[in-house]
Amino acid sequence: MEGILTTPAPWYLAGPLIGLLVVLLLWLANKPFGALGGYIEFTEWAAGSRGDLGWRPLLIAGVVAGGLLSALLSRGWRPTLAYGSFDVVFGSALWVKAVVLFAAGVLIGLGGRMAGGCTSGHGVCGTSLGSPASMLCTATFMATAVTCALALAWMSGA
Amino acid sequence: MKLKAVGFTIGAAFGFIVGWARLTDYDVIRDMLLLRHPDVFLVMMSAMVTAAIGARLLRALHVRSVLDARPIAWTTQPPQRKHVVGSVLFGIGWSLAGTCPGPVAAQLGRGQLAALFTIGGLLTGIFVHDRIRVRREAPIPRTTGQQPTAVAGL
Repeated sequence: MEGILTTPAPWYLAGPLIGLLVVLLLWLANKPFGALGGYIEFTEWAAGSRGDLGWRPLLIAGVVAGGLLSALLSRGWRPTLAYGSFDVVFGSALWVKAVVLFAAGVLIGLGGRMAGGCTSGHGVCGTSLGSPASMLCTATFMATAVTCALALAWMSGA
Repeated sequence: MKLKAVGFTIGAAFGFIVGWARLTDYDVIRDMLLLRHPDVFLVMMSAMVTAAIGARLLRALHVRSVLDARPIAWTTQPPQRKHVVGSVLFGIGWSLAGTCPGPVAAQLGRGQLAALFTIGGLLTGIFVHDRIRVRREAPIPRTTGQQPTAVAGL
């Protein structure tokens, strides 16, 4: 199976396909698409404030499986701790990677939970459904992330 | 049960596309945020436009949902302060990690094990948020079964 998907999907294929998945989930289940909800349900379940796991954590399990398949069909499944130019920006020490990514994850989880959505939930689904809150969230996290990335690149010189 | 199968399948298709388009690569996200390549913005915008057209078609044609048999509908939220504060924190985390809640799961599937640190932090962040909320407000009622209405976001 290796080597079937040698070139990455271009935006004009990936974008509309993701959009169709939003429509498909709405048509099949009348649910808005979003990744963050799966982590929220899982956390509530693990903390004992939720009785059973719903469909959202299964969507995340699906994303893991889909990612695996995409790797199997391209360069094969080769587990690694390398993380592209992150290793150049922050250094390649494992403890640095663990601390920075964990801290970034806390900000993503805390902030996303507070805002009620993430890049897929607000950025793609919510904006497409015309939610004013989603438009505000998307404009805010986009502007923040771009500013932050530019500042980080300027400071690290990478 | 059927809902869970639909969730898993939609997720698998999403993870496959995200992996195939290399939205799981730190450098792809970083190059977008540094405004070096417009591709990821174009992915998001074309996904949004496709979903906007499709969703409105479903609603205009009074299509009923396959699983819950009700007409396709959704609710939207007015902007609030928490949306701005939360999204600023989210944006900082996104730029540091070079990934967000959807693609990070696909990273894990692809064998990019650094995703485990990010996911660990993500779950911790959600937990901390809910703890703070529990302490500041009334306890969260125990949720069972389905949410009453579909709210855009999440």
